[in-house]
Amino acid sequence: MNFLKTTHRMSPFLLLMTLTVFPENAWAVQSHGAPEGLYVHQLAHIFYTAAMCYLIWGIRQSAFKSQGWRYLQICCVFMILWNIVAFTGHSLAAFVDSVHFTREGGYLTTRLQGPLTNVKLWFYFTKLDHLFSVPALYFLYLAMKGIYRSSCEEEKE
Amino acid sequence: MTSLIMLPAILVDMVGSFIIIVLSFLSLRYAWLLIRKQPENFLWGFLFYFCLTLVCFSVSRAVGHLLKQLLLIADNTEQWHVLAPYSGGFNTLLMISLAAVSIYYHKGIEGFRAIQQKAKSLKEANEQLEVSADKLLKMNANLEEMVEQRTKKLSASEKKFRNFFINSKDMVYFCDSVNRLVNMNTAGLEMLGYTMEDERNLTLQNIFCNEDDLEKYFETLIAVGFVEDLEVEFVRADGSVIYVLLSATAVYDEERNFIGCEGIAKDLTRVRTMMEQLASSEKMASVGQMAAGVAHEINTPLGVILGYSQLMMDDFSPDSEEGQSLQVIERQAKACRKIVADLLKFSRQSESARENIQINEVLEDVLAVTEHSLNMDHIHAHRDFSDNLPAIVGDTEKLRQVFVNFINNAHHAMEEDGGGDIYLSSRYEEESNRVVATVRDTGHGIPEDVVTKIFDPFFTTKSVGKGTGLGLSVSYGIVQEHGGTIEVESPVKGRGGEKIRGTAFHVKLPVTLRESPSVNEDLNLEQF
Repeated sequence: MNFLKTTHRMSPFLLLMTLTVFPENAWAVQSHGAPEGLYVHQLAHIFYTAAMCYLIWGIRQSAFKSQGWRYLQICCVFMILWNIVAFTGHSLAAFVDSVHFTREGGYLTTRLQGPLTNVKLWFYFTKLDHLFSVPALYFLYLAMKGIYRSSCEEEKE
Repeated sequence: MTSLIMLPAILVDMVGSFIIIVLSFLSLRYAWLLIRKQPENFLWGFLFYFCLTLVCFSVSRAVGHLLKQLLLIADNTEQWHVLAPYSGGFNTLLMISLAAVSIYYHKGIEGFRAIQQKAKSLKEANEQLEVSADKLLKMNANLEEMVEQRTKKLSASEKKFRNFFINSKDMVYFCDSVNRLVNMNTAGLEMLGYTMEDERNLTLQNIFCNEDDLEKYFETLIAVGFVEDLEVEFVRADGSVIYVLLSATAVYDEERNFIGCEGIAKDLTRVRTMMEQLASSEKMASVGQMAAGVAHEINTPLGVILGYSQLMMDDFSPDSEEGQSLQVIERQAKACRKIVADLLKFSRQSESARENIQINEVLEDVLAVTEHSLNMDHIHAHRDFSDNLPAIVGDTEKLRQVFVNFINNAHHAMEEDGGGDIYLSSRYEEESNRVVATVRDTGHGIPEDVVTKIFDPFFTTKSVGKGTGLGLSVSYGIVQEHGGTIEVESPVKGRGGEKIRGTAFHVKLPVTLRESPSVNEDLNLEQF
């Protein structure tokens, strides 16, 4: 009985010792292929989008009604849009083979080669993602300014 | 259109990146101002970290984009390919961080709201507490003021009633339910002749003279709740009796149980004595009037009888039977005339002289006449005369008669004992401006039941033929005539309060000087 109990207690150590003795059977470190970075980045966009949605919901739940908090919500909306555009842009760049560029007189003369399909047009549009990220940051600026001012007014009152 | 130029996109990318860097820093500045203003505010903390992460992300991304564009413009594509993974990696990391910070917001805000709620309720509670504390403070101040005022009033009231209790000239007492005296004022103790220490052991049974009075007192007290103007007799510590007018009220507890009584007693002994003296005076006055009337009526026929008997005596030989009978008639008529004269003296119907008299001289004169006779019966006279006594106004002869009467009575009282002492004294009583002459003997004294009758005309304890019972009546009338009083003590009270065998007569005569030393005048104009 005592032998069985001792064996039972020692079993995890015995297993560890066995694995240490035969290292060729343990694959502790996995290798990562090139697309993994893109997948992580895209997942980060999804996570970012979800976080922005959650923030909007949170602000609305918190019933902060001042102008600053409204601007913050608009900022979140623009961030979500930017995330969608960026996500689409990354996807198109990685998975669409038909997007080609020509460069005759340097980088600044780069052209998106035709025929201009919907995919190419969408791709071009996604390159203009700052049209969403700049307003997002602008509304963040307005939001912070508004919140700061209303805080100062509250303090005065 | 066969192709699209990418230049607008490149420009938008570069300008946009620059604007993003600027805006993110401006936002961070406001977040920084907020957190600096209220470092403990969770929301500002969240916004600060949100902006900070966004700045990092924006800078990372914008700088990456700008670098990319610049490197590509400069045709350094290879370098960008080296840097691109780092830029992308940072961007990914910072996006995840930004998302994590945003998600953190919700949990934080819950905590913040809970804290805010708590703070709000605490603030409200604190405000209510402050209001309550303020009210309490005001109430306390008001209460303190009220207590102070009440205490002052109570103190004044207590002082007032204590003064009343202490300074009252009447007896004020408090009893418990078993008749034990709980408290009695000084006047009461003095009235009863007890000390403060005796007070603890005193009960009403000790001071009530008659048990019937005490029974009546309690019956009335229990039945009616009070006793009003009850005339009772109290026994003093020395056994003497005083007459008091008693009023008392029953005391009840909250459940209407009898727990004792409180009462006031007024000493009426002096009033009662005065009333008796007044009654006696009135009696004497009426007796005097009657005596005067009888004497006046008898005196005329008596004079006629005496006159005719003397006329007839001239017609008969003294040795003859008729002559002897007439002598008896004359003798008895004269005796009657003396009685009539005494009656007139008693009723102040006779003449009086008004002259300044030294009472010591009067007493010496009387002793000069009577001392020999006293000595014969082993009675020794003692003199204790005060010097420089003021003179009194009166009739020397009549006053001599008064003291002769007292000495004769004393002589008579000590005769049976085979001797004794007689003390004659005089003193000046300054407070009443009177001269007091005292005749005291060591005889058998006057029985208590007859002491009030000794001044009545014809009252005598002597055997028949030895006294007419007019001596003290006449003395009374003379002293009254002089505006004085006679006080009798039997037995006599000594200086230490002890009782001495015998009788003392105190004659108190007012001091009033006359300008003319010796003037005879009629006190009563009626002559007979």
